[in-house]
Amino acid sequence: MSELKRQLAMVLDLNKCIGCQTCTIACKRLWTRDEGMDYMWWNSVNTMPGRGTPKDWEQMGGGFRDGQPKPSRIPTRKEFGDAWEFNHEEVFFGGKGPEAHLQVKGEQPEWGPNWDEDQGAGEYPNGYYFYLPRICNHCTHPACLESCPRQAIEKREQDGIVLINEDRCRGYRFCMEACPYKKIYWNHVQKVGQKCIFCFPRIEQGVANACARMCPGRVRFVGYRDDQNGPIWKLVDKYKVALPLHAEYGTEPNVFYVPPLSPPRFDANGEIDESQPRIPNEYLIALFGPPVLDVLATLKAEMTKTRAGQKSELLDILIAYKWKDMFSGFDRDPATIEWKRT
Amino acid sequence: MRVPYAANVDVEALLDADAAPWRSTAPETLTMMGTPVGLQPTGYIRTAWTGKKIGAVESVTVAALHTGSALAFRLEWADSTENRDLTDTTSFPDAAAVLLPSTPGSLVMTMGAPAAPVNAWYWRADADRGRHVIAEGIGTSRTLDVELVRGRGVWKEGRWKVVIARALRVDTKELVAQLDVGATNRFAVAVWDGASGERGGIKAFSGDWRELVLDATKLARG
Repeated sequence: MSELKRQLAMVLDLNKCIGCQTCTIACKRLWTRDEGMDYMWWNSVNTMPGRGTPKDWEQMGGGFRDGQPKPSRIPTRKEFGDAWEFNHEEVFFGGKGPEAHLQVKGEQPEWGPNWDEDQGAGEYPNGYYFYLPRICNHCTHPACLESCPRQAIEKREQDGIVLINEDRCRGYRFCMEACPYKKIYWNHVQKVGQKCIFCFPRIEQGVANACARMCPGRVRFVGYRDDQNGPIWKLVDKYKVALPLHAEYGTEPNVFYVPPLSPPRFDANGEIDESQPRIPNEYLIALFGPPVLDVLATLKAEMTKTRAGQKSELLDILIAYKWKDMFSGFDRDPATIEWKRT
Repeated sequence: MRVPYAANVDVEALLDADAAPWRSTAPETLTMMGTPVGLQPTGYIRTAWTGKKIGAVESVTVAALHTGSALAFRLEWADSTENRDLTDTTSFPDAAAVLLPSTPGSLVMTMGAPAAPVNAWYWRADADRGRHVIAEGIGTSRTLDVELVRGRGVWKEGRWKVVIARALRVDTKELVAQLDVGATNRFAVAVWDGASGERGGIKAFSGDWRELVLDATKLARG
């Protein structure tokens, strides 16, 4: 592998995600509308706790344990959620008026890419959930790249973006097996693996990723890991409030999450128990590792500071008063660029 | 293996595995073996396939004919499922290839080496056509073109019959097998069983090179 000069990264503040799927649709409209891509969601947002997309991906293996590859399997189209066909023709042009309702044609689906939306966990009045957007993690130690027998996957030395070279790909799909995050899809028309490209054609023109730029909640920060003036370095390295998802998978993701704070629980008498967060610590540790507790403590301490009238650089970054501050210079107006499909 | 000389036969006609000229061949049955897991090119594949059966197809019946200008191989093997459809993420195609040394020193086990490549004439059920491939070591296979090698497969009643053919000599700067009538050449065979998830280096192969003698005497017209 070539020497990595810099690494682009993304930080997602889960406290701000409202699960609106604008990122998902921004990505879908830009990248996955060609033949064979109908079931692909390079960006997905799932309710947590939940079984996720593809279904139960966290139980599938892949990645590395103790430095050794961990066997896994390829999720099926059904597990990804497949692409349902609807009776649009009948509803819009069938002349049936209000008699016709939008329905999935053919076999009724048993799973979808956002099937368990807002289900969450816990019992009333202590139910809880939060949203988890996911893209390819553009890992520092990419299991996909290392699994490919054809060297069809590259990690770009200038920015660390992981890309599948479709000219070299022969559709063996070892990458889909090896990726522990199950973020690689099979295009059965092109007969190649496909996945999130970190919007590299936009990045190369100084425009942040579509998922980040379109986010109405200002959830996503984009920039180089080592840019000490940018939000990524400050959130990941300076304040240490952004963590990778499932670091134990051993691939060293370059997508990081600010974990969700939650209100306190009600006790058996209906009184507020400040000692117990609504989202159980054990669950957050299972996702983000033990350091998640330190992150939550840092966030609470900073919030206490601001309530006392003090300044907090960390909270100012997270609030993102100016959207341009989130993108480390990748803030060019895409409408000023003449885009060409090559 | 002796390769009869079927003069005045169009190689296109030979792509039909049931065509009459194939009756004049004496097919040989090759015992196949799985590729060694330790030789798989990546750590993931080695780990994931350790303890799993590699090489689902245990024998392949091979015949060959040449027309004076082209060489055709006819491969036949038992396979209970026809795997051509790749719609699901977990569907893999059945496939077969004839491997030929591009140089006298080219090795089967390593899939060639730099400057000593092997030349694969490859057929895959989903595309149902030939593919001209060169490799200079495990994990280095490279498609040269999809025109020079012709291939066609028919699956019926639990058996694949596949014909793979190419001109004896081809005009290319690449180091591929160039064959001559009357000369002794060598070949090996590989088969992938899609239903068993076989693809890439996960396949059954026929072991070391076997002799291939292209008859100089034309078959009597029959």
